[in-house]
Amino acid sequence: MILLPFLALLSFPFSFAATPDSARQQLVALAAAGGGLIKLDSASYDLLTAPDRDWSASIEFTALDTRRRCAPCKEFNPSWNAVAKAWTKTPKAHRDNHFFATLDFDNGQTVFQQLGLSSAPVVYVFPPVEGPRATGRTDPSKYDFSHGFEPEPLAQHLSNHTPIPIPYSPPFDWARWITIGSGILTFAVTLRFVSPILQSRWTWAVGSILTSLIMTSGYMFTRIRNSPFMGGDGSWIAGGFQNQFGQEVQVVALVYGTLGAAFLMLIMVIPYQTSAQRQRFQIYLWSTIIVLVYSILVVLFKVKNRGYPFRLLL
Amino acid sequence: MPTAFPLPSDLSPATVSNTASLLRIVALSLISGAAIASRLFAVINFESIIHEFDPWFNYRATRVLAAKGFYEFWNWFDPTAWYPLGRVVGGTVYPGLMATSGVIYSFLHALNLPVDIRNICVMLAPGFSALTAWATYMFTKEMKDESAGLLAAAFIGIVPGYISRSVAGSYDNEAIAIFLLMFTFYCWIKALKLGSALFGTLAAVFYFYMVAAWGGYVFITNMIPLHGLVLILMGRYTSRLYVAYSSWYVIGTLSSMQVPFVGFQPVSTSEHMAALGVFGLLQIVAFTQLVRSHVSSKQFQDLLFVFAVTTGILGGVAFVGLTYTGSIAPWTGRFYSLWDTGYAKKHIPIIASVSEHQPTAWPSFFMDLQFLIFLFPAGVILCFHQLRDEHVFVIIYAVMASYFAGVMVRLMLTLTPVVCVASAVAFSSLLDTYVDAAEPEHAEESSEAAAPSASKKAKKAAAQAAAPDTGSTLTDIAAAATPTKKGEKPKTKAIYGLDTRLAIIMNAFGMLAFFVFHCTWATSNAYSSPSVVLASTNADGSQHIIDDFREAYYWLRQNTPETAVVMSWWDYGYQIAGMADRPTLVDNNTWNNTHIATVGKAMSSSEEVAYPILRKHDVDYVLVIFGGLLGYSGDDINKFLWMVRIAQGVWPEEIQEPNYFTPQGEYRVDDMASPAMKNSLMYKMSYYRFSELFGGGAATDRVRNQQVPKVGPTLDYLDEAYTTENWIVRIYEVRKEDLLGRDLKSANAFALGKKRKRSKPVSRRRAIV
Repeated sequence: MILLPFLALLSFPFSFAATPDSARQQLVALAAAGGGLIKLDSASYDLLTAPDRDWSASIEFTALDTRRRCAPCKEFNPSWNAVAKAWTKTPKAHRDNHFFATLDFDNGQTVFQQLGLSSAPVVYVFPPVEGPRATGRTDPSKYDFSHGFEPEPLAQHLSNHTPIPIPYSPPFDWARWITIGSGILTFAVTLRFVSPILQSRWTWAVGSILTSLIMTSGYMFTRIRNSPFMGGDGSWIAGGFQNQFGQEVQVVALVYGTLGAAFLMLIMVIPYQTSAQRQRFQIYLWSTIIVLVYSILVVLFKVKNRGYPFRLLL
Repeated sequence: MPTAFPLPSDLSPATVSNTASLLRIVALSLISGAAIASRLFAVINFESIIHEFDPWFNYRATRVLAAKGFYEFWNWFDPTAWYPLGRVVGGTVYPGLMATSGVIYSFLHALNLPVDIRNICVMLAPGFSALTAWATYMFTKEMKDESAGLLAAAFIGIVPGYISRSVAGSYDNEAIAIFLLMFTFYCWIKALKLGSALFGTLAAVFYFYMVAAWGGYVFITNMIPLHGLVLILMGRYTSRLYVAYSSWYVIGTLSSMQVPFVGFQPVSTSEHMAALGVFGLLQIVAFTQLVRSHVSSKQFQDLLFVFAVTTGILGGVAFVGLTYTGSIAPWTGRFYSLWDTGYAKKHIPIIASVSEHQPTAWPSFFMDLQFLIFLFPAGVILCFHQLRDEHVFVIIYAVMASYFAGVMVRLMLTLTPVVCVASAVAFSSLLDTYVDAAEPEHAEESSEAAAPSASKKAKKAAAQAAAPDTGSTLTDIAAAATPTKKGEKPKTKAIYGLDTRLAIIMNAFGMLAFFVFHCTWATSNAYSSPSVVLASTNADGSQHIIDDFREAYYWLRQNTPETAVVMSWWDYGYQIAGMADRPTLVDNNTWNNTHIATVGKAMSSSEEVAYPILRKHDVDYVLVIFGGLLGYSGDDINKFLWMVRIAQGVWPEEIQEPNYFTPQGEYRVDDMASPAMKNSLMYKMSYYRFSELFGGGAATDRVRNQQVPKVGPTLDYLDEAYTTENWIVRIYEVRKEDLLGRDLKSANAFALGKKRKRSKPVSRRRAIV
């Protein structure tokens, strides 16, 4: 397994003076050896990006070695491999006009310096300089990671540069469908036992109330904006009116829930209390809780909105 | 029966009910007055002016309607919008708002009251808020009783969540839509309760009005079917439901298709499929009920099975087939972005870029609803307690709307009514319980019998103070709410003593008073700014009005030919059309993404790239908003990244977002700014001659708190035409091609070699040469 790339590397010194045609042959061989993906070093990088190339190439610059501690590189690499693999399924005539390659920092530090790269991963697309697909543009273009490290947008973007679109399709998600299937099955089997629970109005009440509380505490905001659970400095409440951390959802939902429950106690439970002493005690207890928790809520709101002029007890 | 305080005993029931209804009328009119008055801050602090962006278009369209009549308006083709495409206004607008103002205008003029159309437009939203309060009263009355209705009306009258979209001058579709929403729901509940085709038809008529007024009608289109479906699933199918739903659906759908902008959508797009599906389901259920009453039970079982299987298969095949052939349109982007929250950012940046489409953080909920936000779950639980058909509606509404409000800030508006209704139910239950004068009859004996269980409950209750888990509270409440379970006589609900009552009522009124203060503060501070006119405070505390927008628009109006095309970012399209009356390239009706991306590309490219684009679109003037001098943060440099993103969506090769950041990933405008940023047309137009203003000192951008380069950008293809007092609006004139056929850059360089002055016209330079 290791031998093949080594053999390919050994053959380089003899081939540099070769014509583009034989260079292409070597690249094809390299790509075939790497399963559609060329493992580059400085020498083969020069070969791939030769100034008279009539093929195009997309190169991932990465640093996968654990010493480099590049977490995004590791995250992105599977997507890159998947897209490169998808390209091997195309007909040979088209396939050999575009190459996928990877250059690891440890194999080509000089190239990184040459391109002025200080971060990884980076994807460059080198357009063809000669031949029918040449557009007159010779300098590489950079792939923009604003859509994340997912393979779909990557394949979609690279398809603009390849002779034919990359036939990438996401792998079938077995785990997900098995989970869904088994979930439905479990539900069907246990339906007899859970149906009293499902038919109880209070099950649904708990469900709806929890949903409302979580939603009105800004849960969707943290989901959509990917807010961290808490601040980097250990603070749990984010400054700013239109901003919040994940932990605030829990705190605020708890505060709302407490206040709502206190009102419910006053409306639905306490009036049925048959002892005068106990009833009086509970009324004062819950009223105090309402005032105190409400004051805390207003204090929290003041943290978020500094200009808020009102306060309760606290 | 012992009472906690003496009650008058010599009142006849007629007197009591008459007084109560008089008081209700007085209370409702006071609530209407308060609702209108609290929306007038904007007029008092500023002036009677149309606010924001979209209202300017509505105002312009209403003026056309008032001046030329309805048919002219209906066929109005506006060649000045989306230059050079134009816009068929009659077919691309929800005409309900303009028609309403038009009717009011004609009515007042028929009475010989010559009211200006602008004042009608400004005052329409406050007027309709009074109607909303009334509709909410009617709706809540169906849920509980009149007292809850009055509370709900008072809440919705002054709650900031609704005021934010309905202050005087905010002449937008939402201004009338919330009234229509509440009234349609009221008619629906009434129709369902009575099984009345009349109320079903009324609901359909108001639904039609709603369809004509606001795109949010889709919310009704899905809420009512969902309610019907849940009732069927709960086994609560009745002929009343059948009559109400069928009359609403048939008449409502047919009439809604008369609105040109909606057209055949109600039978083709997926947003409307739920209503159609439930309609079909209701027919099937009704049919089976009919058959059941005519055949024996064994036959019925077989029939039901065969029938269910065939209809299921047929319906499924038909649905798939129609989707496949394309008769049923795919889901629209805006709809997708509600469910898959990452969708918009990836595929339609133009939707994601709108500030009111951002997700809502919790402070916004508290700001807009204050104490109602935590009272409303309690109200929903009370609805579960009774669970009549209409309570199911409130519950579904509460869950759906709180999700939607969390996803998009603007949908807070649909959450607000249900929050007001549910919390009014809870609050009036509280008051009912503690204002009632009745005391328990035999306190001591019964307390002994129930002592063990009661003390347990008390302990449980106390434990909940520490760990307020909603679940255990519920079981507790459920136990308390089903009194006959233990086989004892039903427990009576009553309160001992006067001090307890006073404590609760004082507490309640304290909260209400706080609510009023909060609403007044929020309305006057946060929601009453017209955003066309800005206000700042002088050192002595007096108000200083910043009127740069109108200054610039009137300059355009008076100093440029009527056909001069103005290019700006789309936010200002309606305002330019409304105030400057000039053709614009793009405006707030963001239907053509490519056209907007073209403007984005022109703004974010260098001058050489942008110039051909400008010339091809006949652009004469370019308008940018610049807040750097004043510290106005809503300016174009802050919106610039969205222009880049939207342009990138169409030209991913030429415009790339990372190029506008520094290598460290910062967004800067000073010396460190990236070359793409410094060369972009937007940057150049914003900072052109900005540093000269500081006379050699450090030129500071007050929004971004950065020092801009001492040597500012130069412009070769544009001339500065006008800059307003506070530099908020800057207008540039696009130069025509050089008369000698040189490109403007070399022409400029040539001229610059001879003369220092940059802005001399080309022809005079030629004379010197």
